[in-house]
Amino acid sequence: MNPSRIAAKAAVAASLIVVMAGASQANEIKGKVSVQGIKSVESIAVYVDAIPDKKFDAPKDHVVIDQRKMAFIPHVVAVQQGTPVEFLNSDPVGHNVYWPSISGNKKLSHNLGTWPKGEKKPFQFNDLGVASLLCNVHPEMSGYVVVVPTPYFAVTDKDGNFEIKNVPAGKYTLKTWSEDGKPTTQAVDVAAGTVTVDLTVKK
Amino acid sequence: MKGRVLNTSIMASLTAVVVVLWGMLASVPKTSAIPAFSRKYQTSCTTCHNNYPELNDFGEAFKKNGFKFPKDDEVFVKEPPVLLGSKAQKEAFPGAVYPGEIPGYLPIAFRYEGNFTLNRKQPTGGVVQNGFTPRTDIFAPNTFTILAVGTFGQNLSFWIDDDISVGAANANGGMGDGWLKYSDLGHGIGLPKNALNVRFGQFELDLPFTQAKSIYLSPFDIYGEGNVAGTLGTANNSTIFGAPQRGIEFGGTPNNGNFDWSVAVTNGSNVGTATRSSKDVYVRLSQKFNLERDPESRNAIQAAGPTGPRDHTSIRLGFLYYYGKNQQNQDGVPFPGLATIEEPFFRVGGDMRFKYRKLELFGLGMFGHDDNHLFTAGPPATTGVAPAVKFSGGFAGANYWFYPWLIGTFHYDAVNSHADFVNGAPASQYRTRNRFSPGFQVLVRANIKVVGEYQYTFGRPYTDLAGNTLFFRPNTFQTGIDYVF
Repeated sequence: MNPSRIAAKAAVAASLIVVMAGASQANEIKGKVSVQGIKSVESIAVYVDAIPDKKFDAPKDHVVIDQRKMAFIPHVVAVQQGTPVEFLNSDPVGHNVYWPSISGNKKLSHNLGTWPKGEKKPFQFNDLGVASLLCNVHPEMSGYVVVVPTPYFAVTDKDGNFEIKNVPAGKYTLKTWSEDGKPTTQAVDVAAGTVTVDLTVKK
Repeated sequence: MKGRVLNTSIMASLTAVVVVLWGMLASVPKTSAIPAFSRKYQTSCTTCHNNYPELNDFGEAFKKNGFKFPKDDEVFVKEPPVLLGSKAQKEAFPGAVYPGEIPGYLPIAFRYEGNFTLNRKQPTGGVVQNGFTPRTDIFAPNTFTILAVGTFGQNLSFWIDDDISVGAANANGGMGDGWLKYSDLGHGIGLPKNALNVRFGQFELDLPFTQAKSIYLSPFDIYGEGNVAGTLGTANNSTIFGAPQRGIEFGGTPNNGNFDWSVAVTNGSNVGTATRSSKDVYVRLSQKFNLERDPESRNAIQAAGPTGPRDHTSIRLGFLYYYGKNQQNQDGVPFPGLATIEEPFFRVGGDMRFKYRKLELFGLGMFGHDDNHLFTAGPPATTGVAPAVKFSGGFAGANYWFYPWLIGTFHYDAVNSHADFVNGAPASQYRTRNRFSPGFQVLVRANIKVVGEYQYTFGRPYTDLAGNTLFFRPNTFQTGIDYVF
């Protein structure tokens, strides 16, 4: 084979590898949420909204929400649609888990019952929206499961920081959900590397 | 016509008051102002009460455990106590004061109750037995109560409640309970947990159904029954169950609280100073039978199902006995020329409480018997045996939770006392005092209630043998507010 043709083929192959590598590169969306009129920047869900013509398989790994010292831990959990969630009771008193609706749709209310220490009960969240977790034994307890349509989500830390990893390049809509604030929507263009986004959640 | 106009006016006023009341309550902001234990554990009233102050299964377990969570109490305490000396000071005892602790929070709570009362129209031209009763009375009894309740460490607990104001008059309600309790006294000798406790001070007897912490607007009549012979003899016993006693009580709740026992030695003069040298004895035993089908719920503190927690399906059966010796004429004044007159008396009764899901049924029957004498002034003054003074009666009732915040209530009271009838004390022409009291309770918040009760008394105003028209309690509708913080 002609050395120049070999070199050309090698160059094309190298280019393809670079392009393919670029396509699957671990891009991420990082940022910080600030708030107006809300006490805390912690526990705000940030997620990529539904992507047209794109469907994701339900994750097989389950998420655990604990009930400890009469609190749901963590207080806010974001999960992809179809994720199985296990509710654990770590307290030496009986706890109940129920949600009166999912994002206001009372037809999606559910009561898992009441169970003692050390036991778990699973539930697969197939409906998008927010389930307000309650315990009817201890009305002061509350938690939230935010069911989102994509596997690209995060929950802010105590300083409001978030990091969504493994996001393919593309144009998306970034959304937030918080316990006390209004939802925020922002367009984001993810290219190679890290995209930094600052969001503001208002009461 | 005028009467109809007046009635319409009253009903319009009542409606307006209720509407304004509801309006005010609807605008109450979300409150975290809840009493002492809510602050200590950062938990809602409903953890221990289905309808305060009545306790649910968990609340009973909490109370029986000396105001502590039945398991791992320290895990749940959000306001740690203040140590009065390190725990290691125990080793230095008796060379040092034994270490203790006081609540880290201020163990104070308050309660306010005020009712609107609409009475039955009073008959005209007759002798009114209990004085004039207006048709309406707003914000009565208008009671403000302070409660100090908590624990002093592992085994000591305390309770003090005092009506700071009743009817806007300073402190005329006085102290209710004021006691100190040592729990699990038998631990050192291997008795089951809380099988032996001791309580000192002024306290409501271990009654089958509490009067002091009742959810009802009207009292249980049988608890207010003394035994006074009047024209039938010397018996004059004002001891009642409906007011606290001063004394010492031993008791316990072994078998996870299913079996309860208590023995109290008391003055027998309720909240007054002692009036006789002898002491009274009160004994109560009860056993709860768990009828829950689910074996897990039978062993848990609270029963549970797909719809969440509720009290166990259960029945508690109990027995009570009170014995005393009423001593009169110790000063020789009422019956001059005679020595002390001793009149033994007893009260005996049985009770039942049945719980099934949202329904609660209960009842108590009681019989009272006082020895009695006939006094002859003489000279010489003498006494002879007279027929004993007796009464019987009780109450039965039901509560139903339509929603966790809407409760229908009902109780029927009956007191049958021949002596009361003869002496014109509160009794109707049927020799009985029967009352039918349906009501409702609305938990506007976990710590705010709107309550209502209609009290229908059987028996109308009647004419006694002397031709006097006696007017026994008018039928009454009461509604009002009740909040704690």
